[in-house]
Amino acid sequence: MVDIVSFDKVSKSYDGRAYVVRDLDLSIAQGEFLTLLGPSGSGKTTTLMMLAGFEVPTSGEIYLDGKPLSRRPPHERDIGMVFQNYALFPHLSVAENLAFPLEVRHRPRAEIRQRVEAALEMVRLPQVGARKPAQLSGGQQQRVALARALVFEPRLVLMDEPLGALDKQLRDHMQYEIRALHDRLGVTVVYVTHDQSEALTMSNRIAVFAGGRVRQLAAPDVLYETPSDLFVATFVGESNVFAGTVAARDDTVARVALADGTAMAATAMDAGAAGAAAAVVVRPEKLLLGPLAETCENRFTGQVADVVYHGDHLRVRLAAFGRDDIIGRMPTGGPALPAIGASLAFGFDRAAARAYDPAHGAG
Amino acid sequence: MPRTPIERVAGVTLAVVAALVALFLIAPLLAILPLSVSDGQFLVYPIRGFSLRWFETFFASERWALAIRNSFAIGATAASIATVLGTLAAIGLARANFRGKKFVTAVLLSPLIVPIVIYAVGLYFFFARMGLTQTYTGIVLAHAALGSPFVVVTVGAALANFDHTLMRAASGLGASPLVAFRRVMLPIVLPGVLTGALFAFAASFDEVVTVIFLAAPQQRTIPREMFSGIRENISPVIAAASVVMIVTAVLLVATVEWLRRRSLRARQQAG
Amino acid sequence: MGGAELSAAASGAGAGGAVVPPAGPGRNLVRDHARAERRRRLQAIGLVAPLFLFLLFSFVGPIADMLRRSVYDMDLAGVWPRTAAAMHAWDGNGLPPDSAFAALGADIRASAEAGRVAVAAQRLNYPISGGRSLVMNMARRVEADDFKPPADWRAAFLDADPAWGSAETWSAIRRASGPVTDYFLLNALDLHKDAAGHISRAPDGIFLSILWRTFSISGVVTLFALLLGYPLAYVMTHSSGRVAAVLTLFVLLPFWTSLLVRTAAWIVLLQDQGIINKALMAIGLIDHPVRLMFNRVGVVIAMVHVLLPFMVLPLAAVMRGIRPETVRAARSLGAHPWTAFRRIYVPQTMPGVGAGVLLVFISAIGYYITPALVGGADDQMLSYFIAFYTNETVNWGLAAALAVVLLAATAVLAAIYARVVASRGGLVT
Ligand SMILES: Nc1ncnc2c1ncn2[C@@H]1O[C@H](COP(=O)(O)OP(=O)(O)O)[C@@H](O)[C@H]1O
Ligand SMILES: [Mg+2]
Repeated sequence: MVDIVSFDKVSKSYDGRAYVVRDLDLSIAQGEFLTLLGPSGSGKTTTLMMLAGFEVPTSGEIYLDGKPLSRRPPHERDIGMVFQNYALFPHLSVAENLAFPLEVRHRPRAEIRQRVEAALEMVRLPQVGARKPAQLSGGQQQRVALARALVFEPRLVLMDEPLGALDKQLRDHMQYEIRALHDRLGVTVVYVTHDQSEALTMSNRIAVFAGGRVRQLAAPDVLYETPSDLFVATFVGESNVFAGTVAARDDTVARVALADGTAMAATAMDAGAAGAAAAVVVRPEKLLLGPLAETCENRFTGQVADVVYHGDHLRVRLAAFGRDDIIGRMPTGGPALPAIGASLAFGFDRAAARAYDPAHGAG
Repeated sequence: MPRTPIERVAGVTLAVVAALVALFLIAPLLAILPLSVSDGQFLVYPIRGFSLRWFETFFASERWALAIRNSFAIGATAASIATVLGTLAAIGLARANFRGKKFVTAVLLSPLIVPIVIYAVGLYFFFARMGLTQTYTGIVLAHAALGSPFVVVTVGAALANFDHTLMRAASGLGASPLVAFRRVMLPIVLPGVLTGALFAFAASFDEVVTVIFLAAPQQRTIPREMFSGIRENISPVIAAASVVMIVTAVLLVATVEWLRRRSLRARQQAG
Repeated sequence: MGGAELSAAASGAGAGGAVVPPAGPGRNLVRDHARAERRRRLQAIGLVAPLFLFLLFSFVGPIADMLRRSVYDMDLAGVWPRTAAAMHAWDGNGLPPDSAFAALGADIRASAEAGRVAVAAQRLNYPISGGRSLVMNMARRVEADDFKPPADWRAAFLDADPAWGSAETWSAIRRASGPVTDYFLLNALDLHKDAAGHISRAPDGIFLSILWRTFSISGVVTLFALLLGYPLAYVMTHSSGRVAAVLTLFVLLPFWTSLLVRTAAWIVLLQDQGIINKALMAIGLIDHPVRLMFNRVGVVIAMVHVLLPFMVLPLAAVMRGIRPETVRAARSLGAHPWTAFRRIYVPQTMPGVGAGVLLVFISAIGYYITPALVGGADDQMLSYFIAFYTNETVNWGLAAALAVVLLAATAVLAAIYARVVASRGGLVT
């Protein structure tokens, strides 16, 4: 893969004191769909704005096709951008909005007309060219914004929480459409969101941001299966977290003792040496219940606190180790619903549990 | 953002132009202030010696003292009338639609745009028949009319942002319409009412044309004295009067700004 | 309407059932709703009424009284009732019958004795040059102690002055006989109606040029206000907190400061001994003071200063509502900064430009105080002449006709303004 953009030790501070982005190294490959995922305020928009040319890095450099970018003004970067509130030009019609990037590039009139039509066709809005943006629904505006960012065939398209203003159904649909456009056009996309499920479903790779740093950069499955620290583990997907102390550890295995003395074995991630605090993380679907728990390396018994029917699975809340928020899943269609208050065996294998340093948990 | 040289030049030019325009706006006010403490006879620089004699003339002479009293009294009375009538009207306009509302609104706002001389000459004829020329009542009525649209507009703006479900909530909680108005609506639109009142006061405090046409010779106001002072024998007492007027303006700006911030904050908390 | 459906359903149920009285909930809902609506409407009207009535009396009344005088003309008919009646009876061709001469003779005599002949003489002086002396000479004759009412008034008049035998004179008297005249309105537009009723340009008319002067001064003032106000509003809206606050203060303080203070301040700056002239002489740019006051320059400078806030405030209000992302979007789409400004930013400010321009222009055409104090004789606008004809020459009909012209111009502009502002949904304050 060829890198089209690379960030080299890029830092940004707005006020000269606090860093909003710190020592960012990031490479974006030609044609990939890269998502910047992180909680609000973690520096995603700032990163995007530096790439688009609306903010200047305080230190470090960004390269586009190997050439430094920081002295190049936004209009010479050839980067399409979709803004969160779309930033459609309210005084221009939809067709004029789409024609704008081509006009400022002095394309011939016939070509402009033809490409605007094609772009409207592409986002499946062939009839709205004459309307003003205010006369469109939110979903339609979003598609026009998308078409406008793509119509001049930029090297790179940036999208800053482009679906944030849409309702859930429309959002799911647009996720699919954006994905399909990416596959069809082969354009490189940098996508910003704070919604982890959106990031997981859309991306080739995800960069998890927290506190102005990239905590992990990986493909969605890798990110979900092997988060590299406690923050990523808890931010991406649902997790049970058991806080305790490392009793023993070697290169691969950590044994962790909970406050009530319970011991469990987990795959050692960044957990410290014996005596250090540790957090063991287990995904609910890896927490096996009832008879299935019998073969698990870590086996316990708890009381059923709550059972919620989810159609394809049951979601069981258990009380054990002096708490009552342990979540497990059970396939439906099994024998009988566990009764509230009944004892239930649960467990997980060492490979399904990961021991982390709790200091790296916060954003 | 990384800026092209043109942008940098344009940015600097723009800042310089804006600064010059701001200077153009404020310089005249600053220029007249020092002359109020001049010892000279004329309203010209350089200042010859420091003296408070013009302030003495302004505050102590029979003429000016009367003008000061009149200006504040007329302004306060006219603003009170305008505020009460204007607030009621603005609430009425926001309350429901009725036939002819557009026309009524146009009439209520018309004092903002009718050239003042036309109104003043009209008053001169019309009030003569009522025996209202050369009376303070006549001047107060005229100034109340001129001030009322400011109240209608500011209270109207406050009501446009007012969430009418609050009134329903209040009556749902058992408040009578009058109590709901007093305890819920009035406190929220109060900044708008007060702002309108200050606008109405300022409109009267600054008004000279209707006074020229309506008032008897001995019915002086500050602007009227300034007008004839500027025309006939311009002296630094004009500067002393200006100082007082500018201080009044500063107080008005500060109060209005304070009210604006308050209502903005209240709205943000509500939202 | 839910209410209508409900009531239909209720009456349907009533018809289908036995002798159930049609007292379903729907009926009540509809009735209650209508009653509540009516109550709200009455409350609204009751709340608006006090100010409306107050303004009818103290604002609309005076203006109507003023405007009425532009067409309602009883100066002559009030003093010479018999003549007026004779003129109304006459068909206006050639010269009137003898009875009209007799009526006028009797009227002049009676009015001279009552001491009111000057009013009619003044009124005839507007359309007839020398009209006053024509009447006053005749009055002096009939008032003489040895005067006897002649049998032939026509001869007596012609003996006094041959002008009494002119069709123009009588046509003017006829048209001045009230109660309604178009004389003043035509006059205010530099038009003239001859004995035959043809309307033509009055050769010595001055009012069109005054109207033009009013509009051109206002236009120049508006243009400068826009040129100065746009950059100021831009910087004010788009700079950081403190700078924006200071600039806003610099706009609001003059806005709230008395017009007379600001006018006096400009006199301090502009007069021959003023700061500007002294400064220019000190740096050796000039060696005599330049005339900056009592001419057009001074009027325009002072008016721009006074009206600039009315341009800046609506502009800033609109600029504040423009999303900065739209300009960023234009840049990322490949627009040069200047292109983005010209094609994306400026068009979005047009509602503010429209509002500001109209507001300044409307205010400017009615200006009186500032031109009166810093302008020269050639810089006075319509308002000045309305005051002048009211106070100095006491030609109230003409003053009123000029007021009609000024008010009509203002009303048209205000209607446009209302449309501009309504299209963006609110009053700019
Ligand atoms: N223009 C700005 N000036 C000052 N601080 C800013 C600016 N933009 C963002 N910030 C601050 O920088 C931090 C990161 O913001 P941002 O990049 O927008 O995060 P995200 O997009 O991940 O929510 C936040 O604390 C925000 O308050
Ligand atoms: Mg963001």
